[in-house]
Amino acid sequence: MANIKALVVDDSKIMRSAVKRALDQLMIADFEYVEAMNGEDALEQFTDDIQIIFLDWNMPKMTGVEFAKALRERGDTDHIPIIMVTAEKSMGKVDIALNEGGANEYLTKPFTADKMHKTIKRYFDDSGNLITGKEKAEKKSFFSNILKS
Amino acid sequence: MIENKTPTRTIPDEIVDLVKQSVINTFESILGEPPVYNESETQSGPLNGMIGNIAVFNPEHTLTLMLAFPKETAVALSEVFVGMELPFESDDMGDLVGEISNILAGEVAANIETIGFRGQSSLPTATRGSDLTLFMPNKPPTKKMKFEANNGVFWLNMALSESR
Repeated sequence: MANIKALVVDDSKIMRSAVKRALDQLMIADFEYVEAMNGEDALEQFTDDIQIIFLDWNMPKMTGVEFAKALRERGDTDHIPIIMVTAEKSMGKVDIALNEGGANEYLTKPFTADKMHKTIKRYFDDSGNLITGKEKAEKKSFFSNILKS
Repeated sequence: MIENKTPTRTIPDEIVDLVKQSVINTFESILGEPPVYNESETQSGPLNGMIGNIAVFNPEHTLTLMLAFPKETAVALSEVFVGMELPFESDDMGDLVGEISNILAGEVAANIETIGFRGQSSLPTATRGSDLTLFMPNKPPTKKMKFEANNGVFWLNMALSESR
């Protein structure tokens, strides 16, 4: 299985553990975890080798959506899937997270390992490697070049 | 003719019903089975346990939700949620009760939005103690509901007040 470095952001230690436990149960990759307690902490903990982010919304200091916006505004993180894992359920909130915050997926609490799998499976190939937006873009440009030639 | 200008001192039934259903949905998603609302008991004595406190609010109104768990229920819930019994006195237990309150508030916020109450959730807090009694200053309209689950009984107290 491929090694994947995941950033798990939630002000609840219990929920960070629940996310890690669900991901480990899936056995789709060998996850290495970096944890953060809020958006501000997550910005400090973020390093360029983070490959996927699991992000709560309602946190003190900086919310998950504020963190996602700040991260996307850097311009070099579009390839990193951001999975919102939140208790916020209204459609308006989902819309804000996905369209204004730049998150890729939305998983509501409480969740099961099965729901987690359905949410993130399209980002992994059979070997546990992440299929990121960047790689998708590279593949697309590879095929575009072949077609052009 | 003298108009009765006494404000309503009860929470509108449609809000009560949506919150009740939200509690049932939330705990069903956590426990696997829906808790049963016991409408015959609307009062409770002092609590030896934990209270999770959270609010759904907008600039006009604040709906305060207080989940009251007897000690035995809190410990039993931890086994379902975390996979092991958490010590009642631990920080993790406070974290758990706060998170359950947070999940409930998300469900309530989504449900009461359907009747025009568009609000956002506060951050949750949790209180642990014995002989705990809930009371609301300024006496806003309140409603107390008892629920019974396989893992024990718990209470949901709510209050509707004007936002300050």
